[in-house]
Amino acid sequence: MSALQATGITKRFGGLLALSEVDLTVDPGEFVALIGPNGAGKSTLLNVLTGLSAPTTGRIALDGRDITRLSTHDRIRAGLGRTFQHGRLFERLSVIENVMVGAANRKGRSEAELRSTAFAQLRRMGLERFADQPISALTYGNRRMVELTRVLACEPRVLLLDEPAAGLNTGEVEDLMARLRAIRAQDKIAIVLIEHNMGMVMRLAERVVVLNFGVKIAEGTPAEVQADPAVLSAYLGEGAAHARH
Amino acid sequence: MRSSLPLVAVLLLAGFVLSFTASEYTLRLLNMAVIASVAVVGLNFAFGYAGLISLGHAAFVGLGAYTLAILTTQAGWSPWLAAIPAILGTGLVAAALGYPLLRLKGHYLALATLGLNVSFSIVAANWIEVTGGTNGIARIPGLSILGHDLKDERSFLWFGLAVLAVLSVLALAIHGSRIGRAMMAVRDDETAAAMTGINVTGVSVSAFALSAIYAAVAGCLFATHVHFVSPDDFSYAHSITHLAMLIVGGEATVAGAIIGATLLTFLPEWFRIFGDGYLAFFGLMMLAILVFLPTGIMGLLRRWRRAPRPGTAPHGAARS
Repeated sequence: MSALQATGITKRFGGLLALSEVDLTVDPGEFVALIGPNGAGKSTLLNVLTGLSAPTTGRIALDGRDITRLSTHDRIRAGLGRTFQHGRLFERLSVIENVMVGAANRKGRSEAELRSTAFAQLRRMGLERFADQPISALTYGNRRMVELTRVLACEPRVLLLDEPAAGLNTGEVEDLMARLRAIRAQDKIAIVLIEHNMGMVMRLAERVVVLNFGVKIAEGTPAEVQADPAVLSAYLGEGAAHARH
Repeated sequence: MRSSLPLVAVLLLAGFVLSFTASEYTLRLLNMAVIASVAVVGLNFAFGYAGLISLGHAAFVGLGAYTLAILTTQAGWSPWLAAIPAILGTGLVAAALGYPLLRLKGHYLALATLGLNVSFSIVAANWIEVTGGTNGIARIPGLSILGHDLKDERSFLWFGLAVLAVLSVLALAIHGSRIGRAMMAVRDDETAAAMTGINVTGVSVSAFALSAIYAAVAGCLFATHVHFVSPDDFSYAHSITHLAMLIVGGEATVAGAIIGATLLTFLPEWFRIFGDGYLAFFGLMMLAILVFLPTGIMGLLRRWRRAPRPGTAPHGAARS
């Protein structure tokens, strides 16, 4: 059974067709990259998957269970996780308290258990020295890592990452990639990555899905997608595909 | 995070010590301050923790007070017994109103809650058979504990301080719990909160209902202390005062709520020398606080406490 299965997702904003009959299937533990030019509908798809906006038509299943009509928090409790494009944290809570909010998704944990779980997550991400600091003390890169730590504390089975490397420097991107590999190996979670950093996509993803103007135009291994004429013309314009052949 | 328990204990102890030396007049003001503190510690759940701007808090104080007043004077209940439906009923009403009302955000919520308060005043003034209209309800019986009537200002103050202490400890416990963190997460970023598995509507309604429950306790204290309620006691102006108390105290803390409530109870008395001009001074003072002390008195205290050690950066973090 697929971990996440979205079928025939269409999203219409008035006259604009943001997503048209998009299918996305993610197997347990799989690493899928979702790419496409700006405005292709990638973030809209994540919003639909996480329940921030309702699809016009289509169906979403998590571990075979229909979650199309569930509220966002119920989807998170059912095993979905997501980070935002610019990192959204609870500004007036400390770093560890941010992570504790995520850890509180599993019921019946005492306050001490919440704190120790959150601290263990922070240590795994190399952030333990920031545990009691306010969010305002963090660098941009560390803010994004704390957001990732918080979503991991929710113990998702499918993790959706919206441009986690945007705004990070080269060293931070390398660190992020190493951590994503480790997370996947340890937690066996499936990851859907939206990313413009193609080097990162090609090195991490097992499968790449390409969206353009709300339509899925290609899907396959990184090598297959890179050679696909439709993808080349979407990124480089008409003619680019012909020039290569 | 930072607990204001020691400061709350100091404030309550100061009230207790004052109760032995203060004049009858000051004792009465202290009682008013304690009652306002209970209401404002409650408002802190909605405004301070969950970020819900409520300009209808006085309506919930009034609902608690009127329920107790009606049950004691018309149905002959003991005030202790009447306090139970007064408090729980107000909480239920707030929860029922909260579901539709809390779909609104920011200014819209402020306006809607203000409207709620105005509606309450209109009903209290016009449903004469039940509320006595603008004449209000008089001869509300006082409280007594083990045969000792809380008739004098001093014994009522002791009781009020005990109630405030219990409710403050409860508020601090909620602040440091997963429920408190969920409220603050909703305040800081609703979308991120939902994405962290928090039921935003549920948490907002809980914070609103909890704040109304505290308001109703304050209302019951008010009714049994003054023995008289009328619509004027719970007008929207009081809601604005509650919000002002919380902002003056500052920083979404229980200690700040108590400091703000006490200060703004005493200030009008201190400014009495200005006669009717007092409101102008009061307004200017509020303006000055908003401009120069946006984090209120608690923020000022925190800055003073940090000031002697400017070299110590928040580093190496002591885990608590």
